[in-house]
Amino acid sequence: MPFLEDIAIAFIEPCVADPGRVRLYAEPSRDLAEVLPYLNAVVNHAAYNKDGPSLTFMKEFRLITIYPRRITMSKAQNTTDAWQVLDWLKDLINDTYDRRGSITPVHGVRWRPTALQIYEWLPRTNCKACGEPTCLAFAVKLLLGERTPQECEPLFLPEHASLRRAFFEIVAAFGYPAPPGR
Amino acid sequence: MTDSTERWGKPVCVPGDEDRDQERGSGGCLAGSMADVGIYMDNAASSFPKPEAVIEAMADFLRNVGGSSGRGAYRKALEADKIVFRARQAVARLLGVADVSRVVFTANATESLNLAIKGLLSPGDHVVTTSMEHNAVWRPLKAVERRRGVTISQASCAHDGTLDPADIEALLRPNTRLIVMTHASNVTGTLMPVAEAAAIARARGIPLLVDCAQTAGVHPIDIERLGLDLVAFTGHKGLMGPTGTGGLYVRGGLDLVPLKDGGTGGDSMLEHQPEWLPDRFEAGTLNVCGIAGLGAGVRFVLEEGVERIREKEAGLLRRLLDGLSEIPGLEVYGPRDPARQVAVVSLNVRGVPAEEVASRLDREYGIMVRAGLHCAPCAHRTIGTIQRGAVRISLGYFNTEGDVDRCVEALAGIARAAG
Ligand SMILES: Cc1ncc(COP(=O)(O)O)c(C=O)c1O
Ligand code: SF4
Repeated sequence: MPFLEDIAIAFIEPCVADPGRVRLYAEPSRDLAEVLPYLNAVVNHAAYNKDGPSLTFMKEFRLITIYPRRITMSKAQNTTDAWQVLDWLKDLINDTYDRRGSITPVHGVRWRPTALQIYEWLPRTNCKACGEPTCLAFAVKLLLGERTPQECEPLFLPEHASLRRAFFEIVAAFGYPAPPGR
Repeated sequence: MTDSTERWGKPVCVPGDEDRDQERGSGGCLAGSMADVGIYMDNAASSFPKPEAVIEAMADFLRNVGGSSGRGAYRKALEADKIVFRARQAVARLLGVADVSRVVFTANATESLNLAIKGLLSPGDHVVTTSMEHNAVWRPLKAVERRRGVTISQASCAHDGTLDPADIEALLRPNTRLIVMTHASNVTGTLMPVAEAAAIARARGIPLLVDCAQTAGVHPIDIERLGLDLVAFTGHKGLMGPTGTGGLYVRGGLDLVPLKDGGTGGDSMLEHQPEWLPDRFEAGTLNVCGIAGLGAGVRFVLEEGVERIREKEAGLLRRLLDGLSEIPGLEVYGPRDPARQVAVVSLNVRGVPAEEVASRLDREYGIMVRAGLHCAPCAHRTIGTIQRGAVRISLGYFNTEGDVDRCVEALAGIARAAG
């Protein structure tokens, strides 16, 4: 019996950062916390946040975040693409788990999103409420640690709920915890 | 069970059915029994019976899942979506395709061929095909000839339906935009030199469209290894699925104009059909129930193994051909060689119209075969039967040696009476 038997998609919506694509979250059939540091070692370009814990990385153009009991994916091409990538991920997780005796787990961050990648998940209105002239400037400051996610107030408006969820998946990569509630 | 009238019109479950099921090598996986339907030898039209798993998958979908795929955030809709994905994945595996999204679902091979031909050919283009094609290829070609001024060249096949790939090459022109050919003839079963044609097509950078209606599920096809560009298949023949299912493989990097535009689910914001597959070609609510059955059919084929299916059918075909060769007054068309054809044989009984032979096989012997031109006048012209048509016997995985023997006996009887 494999370590992970199934990953079931639980929710799909159009991707906020790119309306032609889809965003989804899925539920693994078991807790993944223990494999995350091993996956971090295998994936090689992931951001592991041990306080979450969570592991974020790009699979080509898709942004994937793995939490112990949830997997999110943004910018999948469509549901066929999403299923295909989740199958790949399931195999990767099982293979990593099987080989964990010979893998040195890595607890550090090996990848950081770029300011442009963060920018895609901001409201992109340049409303200046955060005190920065543009959303991109805010993204740069966020990466430098000079701003915190909470300072973009529009992000917490109800109409940006799904943008906010995706935003926190990407900033989880450098240590910001997801806000309570989904 | 030698008396056909005894077999005919029996209730579904009679004692001894289990034995017949055993004989069919189906391990009890067959839907219903054959006792009430006689001997079915029209598998080139549509395979019958279907594996029980196919019927279960469809009933389960209707009873417990419902929902349309790709269009909802609730779990049942996602389940429908997953059924479609798993079916697509099974087809991709069977046909040797790595990227599952390149497999597009359609209503049947006819729709797939229309999509490929009409989606690719523009005014001034030239297309090369063969003289053994089904109307599902020939009519869309004639349509683009009339409406778009596309020109068609037809490579002549031999009387047994075989094609020399050099004849394809000789017809190519600078403006040849497509080569279309069947993988196996639905009239003579003749296998076409697809690998050779693919090499020729690749060398010239011309897309090759292969009609696998008669081969998918009964003859190995490895799309990516052969480097095929477009492959049409139907769900209700060798893939063991229900009618109303089929699909088209489209190689990455090859774009087609969609046959239809409309809703595709997740991307409603876009004003045009999305560019990515399979959504680009799947506007409208999919036949999820049918696809559930198709997925189960393909998984059945994968579990049995195409090689094993091919071997069994080749054995039955050998037996049939040997039997037929003993009967005086028969004309048997095609290669008459299991290595060079699928389990489809056309023939005529001298002095008896094809329709009468088929009708007598049915009424007097309970054997179902098809007579006429089989939607393939080109092929009948090639083998010389355009005027009178032929009787077509097409075997399936669930036929038995006993079925073949009874068919041979019946034809011998009809030929004797005519002689
Ligand atoms: C060679 C060939 N091509 C195409 C088709 C069309 O298949 P369908 O009727 O499922 O569209 C058939 C069968 O009818 C066939 O035998
Ligand atoms: S508050 Fe948010 S939306 Fe407004 S400019 Fe700053 S980052 Fe952009």
